Amino acid sequence: MLKMFSPGLWIVLLMAAGSSVLIALLPVPTHPGMEMWVFDPNHAKIARFIAEDWNHGHASNPVTIHLITGAAIQSRMMSGFYSDTPVADLIEVERGMIGQVFAGPVADVGFMELTGRLDRENLRTGINGPSFSPWTTRGHIFGLPHDVHPAMLLYRADLVEAAGIDVSKIETWDDYFRMLRPLMQDLDGDGRVDRFLLNASPTSIYYQEVLLLQAGGRMFDEMNQPTLNEPVNARSIARLATWYAGPGHVASEITLGGASSMRLVREGYVVGLLAPDWFAGSIRTSLPDMAGKFKVMPLPAWEKGGRRTSVLGGTMLGITKAGRTPEDAWAFAKQLYLSPATAQRLYEEARIVTPIKANWSQSFYDVPDPYFCGQAIGRMYIRLAPDVPLRPSSPYYGLAQQLLNQSVSQLCTYADDHRLYDAAALVPEAQRLLNEAQRQLQAQMDRNAFLRPAAR
Amino acid sequence: MKPSRLHSAWTPWIFLAPFLLSFTAFIAWPAVRSLMLAFEQTFGPRTTAFVGLTNFRFMLHDPFFWTAVGNTVLFTVAAVVTQIPAALGLALLLNRADLRGRRLFRVIFFAPSIVGLAFVAIIYSIMLEKRTGFINSSLHSLLPAWDPDFPWLDHYVMPSLILAVLWLSAGFYMVYFLAALQNVPGELLDAANIDGASPWQRFRHVTLPEIRPVLNIILLLVVTGSFQLFELPYLLYNETNGNGPDNKALTIVTYLYQTGFRSGDLGYASAIGWLLTLVLVGLALVQRRLTQKEEL
Repeated sequence: MLKMFSPGLWIVLLMAAGSSVLIALLPVPTHPGMEMWVFDPNHAKIARFIAEDWNHGHASNPVTIHLITGAAIQSRMMSGFYSDTPVADLIEVERGMIGQVFAGPVADVGFMELTGRLDRENLRTGINGPSFSPWTTRGHIFGLPHDVHPAMLLYRADLVEAAGIDVSKIETWDDYFRMLRPLMQDLDGDGRVDRFLLNASPTSIYYQEVLLLQAGGRMFDEMNQPTLNEPVNARSIARLATWYAGPGHVASEITLGGASSMRLVREGYVVGLLAPDWFAGSIRTSLPDMAGKFKVMPLPAWEKGGRRTSVLGGTMLGITKAGRTPEDAWAFAKQLYLSPATAQRLYEEARIVTPIKANWSQSFYDVPDPYFCGQAIGRMYIRLAPDVPLRPSSPYYGLAQQLLNQSVSQLCTYADDHRLYDAAALVPEAQRLLNEAQRQLQAQMDRNAFLRPAAR
Repeated sequence: MKPSRLHSAWTPWIFLAPFLLSFTAFIAWPAVRSLMLAFEQTFGPRTTAFVGLTNFRFMLHDPFFWTAVGNTVLFTVAAVVTQIPAALGLALLLNRADLRGRRLFRVIFFAPSIVGLAFVAIIYSIMLEKRTGFINSSLHSLLPAWDPDFPWLDHYVMPSLILAVLWLSAGFYMVYFLAALQNVPGELLDAANIDGASPWQRFRHVTLPEIRPVLNIILLLVVTGSFQLFELPYLLYNETNGNGPDNKALTIVTYLYQTGFRSGDLGYASAIGWLLTLVLVGLALVQRRLTQKEEL
């Protein structure tokens, strides 16, 4: 037998067998009780704080919080939903991830439906209504909303006030650009403007949607049917093009993230930035030396009496169908998301306001924030919370965003090519571009056999 | 059967077994499965619907797909006409015995290929940033009339991609050419020289035929690599999911990734993947045929 193979081959075989046994004997880390996946460090910190309390009272079913990057959560979550690979009991899902979860039949959504529970326990009315919209598909709610994310305008109060501009007189975007125009200056004497009034550009995919929603536009209706070519969208992007294109453009974009972009914010390259609550918190953390230089104000309306806010971003907590103890998961989800302690930590750590209406009366939202020149920004954001626009949960939301962005870019090019910077004159071209975008979006959606009415 | 014969019969299979197992599990079966997927619409493996040729038919009328094809083909042509001459030019230069410091230059030119596309994307996005980027701030310092907010990455999408990949790849392919040039028989070049051939004639009629096999391999690598372009546009134009302004950076593989892994439409993504495979195999066959003709 020994002579059947050469010594070298025996060594290879023994090494293969030995390493296989070693791998088989390696202990697999197991967590007793429930697991929760979180993508944001701030959310993880708060969840761990609440989990500590939960674990004291539920020693037999404790919860462990895992901080995992968003992309990894999406891959692992979808693998789990598709093919039963292990997933956590509870998963925090960011807005951009949810479309894929809702791309199949409702019965195949990997999260437990919460509609019945929310109604039975009378929770739905206690949560800010619009906050449910991104987590609802075909009339079924699959997540507990984490936030509201109303948008305001974060502006350089030091520059605006030094110029003697009274922002309380600003009601519309036209007022804003007209009154702040003196701030668009050539600071280094090269004949070019070095300061712009709004941080946005035709390529800023998220800001397009924020402004469109504020204007009363939308990309999908309540039934998640595409509405990209509605006339209000055409009128809105025609106005946006006049902000972005031409020699007198009032908006320019700093792609926020790196050190150089923060330098531009510090230098006042843009006076105003579209700022949901989380963004105000993020600026406060990223630029501590700018304390006392920023203030927030409701977004100027598109028309007099119009909506003064919009929405950007969002997170939900879902309970997976694969979880072994769904009742405990639901109990923990409520403890985590509904508690005043969470609301307080969320606001204090990240300036995020809770969607739980009962917590809106908490006094910590009224504490003046020295960073924002003593404004109680929590209260300001809460006042706008009920007005945030509804958002779609369509799996084609990302594509719609892309097509909208493409239309705005093409419209800006058209405006420059024809030296046409009047919104009314740009509407027909805007409508044509959006009609084409709508046709492309509809064609992609029509291909999905699982979203056709008969398959729902 | 005698032990020695058994030995000789089983040994190759035992050595091949790990490869065969992993090849079957990770290459062959996924390839078969993806071919099946190309004819299905899926929401995970449990929810599938056979759709026949629908995915392929849709591809024919899908403007995103054709934009991606157009961009990819344009990039590939540009990559071939820039990378190969640049790499060959550098190799010819560094092959000169009279060039001082040529070892140092070889390291300098080869270095970008070590860092990888992700690093190149980050460097480029920082260099080309408006106002604070090295290019804009330098140009503005030298020429005050230069707009410091010039959006290089928005205005010159394809040139940015071509330039970034050229910087990364020219040094890499240069090494192949250098190796080939060093194998060109010196006596042939000497003979041509004695016959009065000009430097261009020596290159055209002696060097080029000698390095042609390597040139063909590099051509194949550049073409297939260009058709698979993904990381660079994805990272450079991350804000638009790799599409770039007005979809000018959208490549076939970026579209495949978005379709399969962001939208979850694995059926359509598989159809795109198979079409890409067929195109690449076709190009390889055409090139092989042309090479064989030249050799004959």
